[in-house]
Amino acid sequence: MNTKLPDASFPSVSPKDKLYVAARSSEPDIAEFASESVIVFDVEGAVHYWNPASEALYGWPALTMIGRGIGHLSTRSENEREHWRMLLQEGGWQGVVSRRTPSGIHIAVDIRQYVRFAQDGTPRDVIEYGRQSLNEGAVAGADWHIPDRLMAASWEIDVSDAAALIAEIARLRDAGGIDERDMNALYHKLVKTARIVNVNERTMRLVGGNRGRDLMIGQPVAGFWPLESRVAVAGLIVDAMTGQTEGATYRRQMPSDGILRDPLVTVWRAEEPGRIYVAVNGAVDDDRSYVYLRASEARYRKLVHHMPVALWQVDASHMGRIYNDIRETGVTDFGAYLDEHPELVELAATTVQITDVNRAAIQLLGGTSALDLMRPVGYLFTISRHSLRNVMIGRFNGQADHSEVTKVQTFDGRVLDVRMSVTYPKVLAELDVTIFSFEDVTERLSMEAEIRQLQADFTHAARISTLGELTTSIAHEINQPLAAIVTNAETSLRWLSRDDPNVEKVKALTTRIAASGRRASDIVQHIRGMASKRQPERSAIDLNEIVQESLIFIRHEIESQSIAITTTLARTLPATMGDRIQLQQVVVNLLINSVQAVEAQAKGKREICIGTQLTEDGALAFTLRDTGPGIPPNDLDRIFEGFFTTKEAGMGIGLAICQSIIAEHGGSITASNHPGGGAEFRFVIPVEAPDGSA
Amino acid sequence: MPKTPLVAVVDDDEAIREALCDLMMVTGLACSTFDSAPAFLNDNSPTEADCLITDVRMPGMSGIDLLERMRAGGSNLPVIVLTSVLDAGARAKALELGAQAWLTKPVADETLLDQIRSAIGEEDWPDEPGR
Repeated sequence: MNTKLPDASFPSVSPKDKLYVAARSSEPDIAEFASESVIVFDVEGAVHYWNPASEALYGWPALTMIGRGIGHLSTRSENEREHWRMLLQEGGWQGVVSRRTPSGIHIAVDIRQYVRFAQDGTPRDVIEYGRQSLNEGAVAGADWHIPDRLMAASWEIDVSDAAALIAEIARLRDAGGIDERDMNALYHKLVKTARIVNVNERTMRLVGGNRGRDLMIGQPVAGFWPLESRVAVAGLIVDAMTGQTEGATYRRQMPSDGILRDPLVTVWRAEEPGRIYVAVNGAVDDDRSYVYLRASEARYRKLVHHMPVALWQVDASHMGRIYNDIRETGVTDFGAYLDEHPELVELAATTVQITDVNRAAIQLLGGTSALDLMRPVGYLFTISRHSLRNVMIGRFNGQADHSEVTKVQTFDGRVLDVRMSVTYPKVLAELDVTIFSFEDVTERLSMEAEIRQLQADFTHAARISTLGELTTSIAHEINQPLAAIVTNAETSLRWLSRDDPNVEKVKALTTRIAASGRRASDIVQHIRGMASKRQPERSAIDLNEIVQESLIFIRHEIESQSIAITTTLARTLPATMGDRIQLQQVVVNLLINSVQAVEAQAKGKREICIGTQLTEDGALAFTLRDTGPGIPPNDLDRIFEGFFTTKEAGMGIGLAICQSIIAEHGGSITASNHPGGGAEFRFVIPVEAPDGSA
Repeated sequence: MPKTPLVAVVDDDEAIREALCDLMMVTGLACSTFDSAPAFLNDNSPTEADCLITDVRMPGMSGIDLLERMRAGGSNLPVIVLTSVLDAGARAKALELGAQAWLTKPVADETLLDQIRSAIGEEDWPDEPGR
């Protein structure tokens, strides 16, 4: 986790912390905007609160003063101790004191100090109001406004990891004669190695880009410091870290960097070893005022907050680092890797933190406040852990985004169908922020389910109607095995009624009876499948089998019309996922149409050729060509439309349903006229590897 | 010893052919089977058989066409049509072409054998073996 200062040490810098402090010590926000210096000390004399006007008056940023003793401002610490004892005893004090500024200059300040007491009568804290003493010749007036340019953008930086580097730079600098480019490379390295411990609100606002302090803390300074002045600030850091004088400050005017105009950067060592403070003063290099920027930021936040799309901001930066390590070990198939390491998905569920949510997100899940949702991401994936896995794979593979329909559980236990969209951070972007959006599609899905039901009913009705057209064929098909059974049974009885019953013959005949019985039963099964009202279902299917089974329904129709049928099936076709009955329905429908077309034709060849193929791009194709009159060119475009028919008794739903069935299978169906005459139909469906066979 | 009468069976359904053939054999008749009308015509069976049992709906050539072809070729072979087709027109055509009977599947063995007996003639009818 990132290093953080104790909460109480940061009362003045961010709206969030402000609220926090207000709640703890009931400081009015108004002190933030007071033109007078307002300082709150604890009873030991350590600074507890330091308003912007104090920064302006004394030059010490709040960041550097919180937690420090009052003695830091005074050279006469003996006097201060005595003064403090009296103050706590008497409850108040007023007068002029001399205070030290970062530049070492002493200023005279008019101060008023009041002790606030707890209910039990013991001193609780001390409030001090201060303004520059008029006796010193300063004029009260315009200076009492605290312009933005007077508020330093402050940084606390940890350079402990760069100790060796700093020593190296100092040595080379002293030695001289080093190529400037080499030197600059070292400076850049230093800015990269130095890590942010804390920043104040102004720094956050100027370079943090609305992303909040937590996302800056722990990051390299180089991630935020303007490129133009990185070398200069690194130089100052080396000066401060190698300087002999305790408490000395090092400052330099920097070139305008597009953020601040001619910023003045001051660097000094903190008490804590390996830490430095940086204060940057200067007017914003932008015509927009601070107030304007604040308002624009507020508008932006408000926009996101009120957006009707439920949004989650997620910090998965540590997972990004883990993925990098995994990638370096040569892993490319992250899905397989996660199958072997399911604990990594659990790690993400419990450690990837949600850093912000908007109102729509709270509403979607039925939370009472944002805090209910600001937890590790796991709660979004209680129903579908698999979706979290998919999100991780998308990140690993470097996708820009990922989207899927999944299920999420609300706080009151409802399960919603949602479309989840994930936007990953850009590779090499400054910050690692992933955005999740969830759209409730429960209603849409239930509507789609109703439509699917209607479609299934319609498809079923069409099948029944088709079967009706085929009753003669079907009756014939079942009657054949029944006739064989009857004759075989009667022959058996004849063998049995002999004086010397021929058991061997009867055995053979009984075997045939059983076989014919099974054949009749199979045919009944097929018809029942076609006739049954059922939900579409996907199973592993073989297109060749489907074509052969379809012929059962219509073979006698074809033969009775003296139509020759040629079947050319591909030798081997891959299995695919599909609805067997529905695809049979398509083939039977196309065949019936062709039989009727050929039948209507008195002269010429009576022929239907059907076949299956594997297309070049690995899809399954079924083709049918007949020697009928073909399709009138004007009808070609409309032939798959619902209720389009050229038959007197036809409803015109057969081909429309064929098309919707093929579309359900992700494929397409086309009708054309063959150059050699007759109509030609072709449907192509992509191969979807059956589950578990991949 | 009189020759065993020969019954020819033409049907595209193997189960039917085998069943009929077995019935002929148990009755003491000889039997030859064909899976299509052309197969029967190409064989010299039309001249050797004493009776023909044929289906109507068959790929290639129908039973009616077969009958027509035989009559056109001058054959007077007794023909029994055995079918599941309930087509009055086809039945009339068959009878007009001199078919001895139009029977529908499934057929009772006695009905079929009676027709074969009258086709072959009582004098040639074998005694059923084993009775």
